[in-house]
Amino acid sequence: MFRRILQSQWKALRLPVILLAVLAFALPLLTVTYGGRLEGAPAGRVAQWLYGAQQIGLLLPGFAVLVGVLTGIGAWTSDHAGKHVYALSLPLSRARYVWLRFAAGAALLLAPTAALGVGSLAAAASVTLPSGVHAYPLQLTARFFLAVLVCYAVFFAISISTRRAALVVLGVIGGLLLADGVLTVMDLRATVTPTVLMWLTNWPGPLSILIGRWALFDV
Amino acid sequence: MSHAIETRGLAYRAGRDFAIRDLALHVPEGSIYGFLGPNGSGKTTTIRLLLGMLRPRSGSISVLGRVVPRDLPAILAQTGYVPERPHLYPHLTVREALQLHAAFYAGFDHGYAAELQAAFALPATRKLSDLSKGEMGKLLVLLALGQRPRLLVLDEPTDGLDPVVRRDVLAALVDFCSQGAAGAAGAATVFISSHLVHELERICDWVGVLDEGRLVAELPMQDFKNGIKRLRLIRAPESVAGAPFVVLNREPSGGEQTWVVRGWEPRMAEWLDAAHAELREVADLDLEDGFVELLRASRAPLA
Repeated sequence: MFRRILQSQWKALRLPVILLAVLAFALPLLTVTYGGRLEGAPAGRVAQWLYGAQQIGLLLPGFAVLVGVLTGIGAWTSDHAGKHVYALSLPLSRARYVWLRFAAGAALLLAPTAALGVGSLAAAASVTLPSGVHAYPLQLTARFFLAVLVCYAVFFAISISTRRAALVVLGVIGGLLLADGVLTVMDLRATVTPTVLMWLTNWPGPLSILIGRWALFDV
Repeated sequence: MSHAIETRGLAYRAGRDFAIRDLALHVPEGSIYGFLGPNGSGKTTTIRLLLGMLRPRSGSISVLGRVVPRDLPAILAQTGYVPERPHLYPHLTVREALQLHAAFYAGFDHGYAAELQAAFALPATRKLSDLSKGEMGKLLVLLALGQRPRLLVLDEPTDGLDPVVRRDVLAALVDFCSQGAAGAAGAATVFISSHLVHELERICDWVGVLDEGRLVAELPMQDFKNGIKRLRLIRAPESVAGAPFVVLNREPSGGEQTWVVRGWEPRMAEWLDAAHAELREVADLDLEDGFVELLRASRAPLA
């Protein structure tokens, strides 16, 4: 059952997934190209190289979000097209069907993750690092996988939610902005939205995986 | 008589204008039950309620002796469903759609499905998005029949299909019913909705008529065919109180009156004799006329 759902999901999403996998493979290699050669380089040059490599690393959280968004929303595209009638007519509980869909979509995330891993290993193998600088291909790959999984889960949930749930989410966002507006007008030195964003993006917030250093090479 | 589908006091509302009201369906096991009604009468909504896709406001639903929605997976495992509109994933090929569907049904009959695929001339490698309307209709029926279900629920399965495809689909249904469901003690039950009266006339043995969310009539097809008559009367009584039949419609024509009645039997002429009316003619109504008269009577009942 899972194999068939995975097969169906793969067929629906294979083009974007392959494209994302190619990008995931290329990004770490771009780090090396961007940084140039290191043999016999002075310390200042190494620092510059590391800075350049880390600039490429800044793209990775955004790329992880892109992968999560495309696969999360794509997981339900086929069902949306048939207004979920097929899924609802199948002889299994709704919760089980959702888990099967989720697991199939999560399995597709392995393709860009593996590509990023291979790209990172290839990039790390292609340079001779000066002492004190290390490559972290496996750590970067693991971090990328966790990040895409979180983003995938968020957009998977948003994509399946009802119009009412979407209105609730929008209402909450609107409420936060309104609260900030009221606090500003009342000249109170407090804010709500930045606090909520801090809570979401700082550990143990669910989006904290996207924040911080995403460097393939670091000291 | 045991029922494959039974509802009691079923009520559902969608928006301000549409509601299913106090619906009491009794679909005998092993029957081919035609669910008739004009467009927008609530047939699709009723089917979605029966299959647990919508939640009723009140009332109870029992399908194959189990309770909806509590036992839905067990019910759906034995139910083949052909929806009004195609609901399959358009990026799959016919073969892939079959493989995906079969994965959910332990008793899926691959041999029978292959037979039907050949009979319907469905190309295995064609994408569903490239299928014609007729081919899609056939595929939906194929998937439902391949399950060898105890209950087959068909929502306007031949609507919009050309006569050749329609005949193929109906022939496959009749063939399936004559074979019976695999593993089931008796014949399969078929619940088929349509607004094409003449189509159901040929295959159904029970009929239910829905109009504006209400069940107007539910009776054996034979009674529906034979029980609705047009009577031509002279000196027709003013009151129909105590009549042993149901007067659906009465219209004056010259010095006579034309009555459309339901539940007519020849011995009931005695009641007219006793009322000093003269019965000039008893004419059969075809199913479509009977259907129209039923709807007319339900919308504007006689005082």
